[in-house]
Amino acid sequence: MRQLLLAGSLILAAASFAAAPTMVGKDAPDFVLKARDGRNLRMSEFRGQVVLVNFWARWAGDSRQEMPALDRINTTYNRAGLVVLGISVDEDLSRAQEFADAMKVSYPIMFDTGSGIGRDYLLEKMPMTILVDRSGVVRYSNIGFKRGDERAYLDHIRELLRE
Amino acid sequence: MNSKHRVVSIILRAALLACAWTAAAAQTGPADAAAAPAAPPAATDAAPAAAAPDDFKTLDQEVQGLKKDVIDLNKDLFVLEEELLFPANTQVALYVSMDVGTFFALDSVTIRIDNKEVKNYLYTAREADALLKGGVQQIYLGNLKVGKHELVAFFTGKGPVERAYKRGATIVFDKGVGAKYLELKITDRLAKHQPEFTIKDWE
Repeated sequence: MRQLLLAGSLILAAASFAAAPTMVGKDAPDFVLKARDGRNLRMSEFRGQVVLVNFWARWAGDSRQEMPALDRINTTYNRAGLVVLGISVDEDLSRAQEFADAMKVSYPIMFDTGSGIGRDYLLEKMPMTILVDRSGVVRYSNIGFKRGDERAYLDHIRELLRE
Repeated sequence: MNSKHRVVSIILRAALLACAWTAAAAQTGPADAAAAPAAPPAATDAAPAAAAPDDFKTLDQEVQGLKKDVIDLNKDLFVLEEELLFPANTQVALYVSMDVGTFFALDSVTIRIDNKEVKNYLYTAREADALLKGGVQQIYLGNLKVGKHELVAFFTGKGPVERAYKRGATIVFDKGVGAKYLELKITDRLAKHQPEFTIKDWE
């Protein structure tokens, strides 16, 4: 009986994993948002560059670890043609701004308070990081953040920058 | 030509194009197949060898013709889609233009028609620059019924001496049977050293 239950739960888990939609291989949906420094940034204007988009939220613990890692990547690869964009999907704008100020990252941070960009990018869990190639196609997607993910990001970024 | 006739014409053209494409593909297939066994005799007989490039030339011309037909068909489909989604009798198109812009750096435009927000557009530096260079942007295309309507446009940005600036412009317009075109104009008022926001109704 226990084996049957285990097998059933494994099948369900596999089915839910297989059904999880992903943006990989699709064109990155366009959006325009206001950055913390006051600039309006449009996704399609970064065509020709490799773009890393990080969806984060103040309440997602992994974001606190991931953002400094992304800042290091941005500092190193910015000159090589990498653009890092951070998008907060926090509903509480003022607290999200406070969090962003505390993180002190050098890449642009934008705030999406209800324009539905997360929905366009099939955002289900936080944080989520995607890599978009020079022609605007999503090539890599990662949900959550754990030790070692930074290395995977670097591998993909180097590969995309070489293309 | 009304919409129905246009739809029938486009379907017929698409069908003809598909037939032509199939025929061209069929022609390419046997030609390739025939070319292989014919290769050894071609070395002894010069005439078929000379004819082969002509065949390719004709085929190439046919392919080019088909490509052109596909482009034309796409164009017609686009026009048809526009006509169906935004019929001329209900169509309202809004444009944004900017002249000089010394006293105003555009950041966003919000448009409300009959007290309902229909558009909120954020401008990137490139887009604002394109407007300053004389570009005209179609910011909204929608449908409205015949009668009187009120349009309110809010412009935000940086005004003189880098101050945050928000101004509105209103127009009450009469939507007739035909399409309606309105232009949101941002100009410099040199006498007052201030920007000016107006809405022009293109009759």
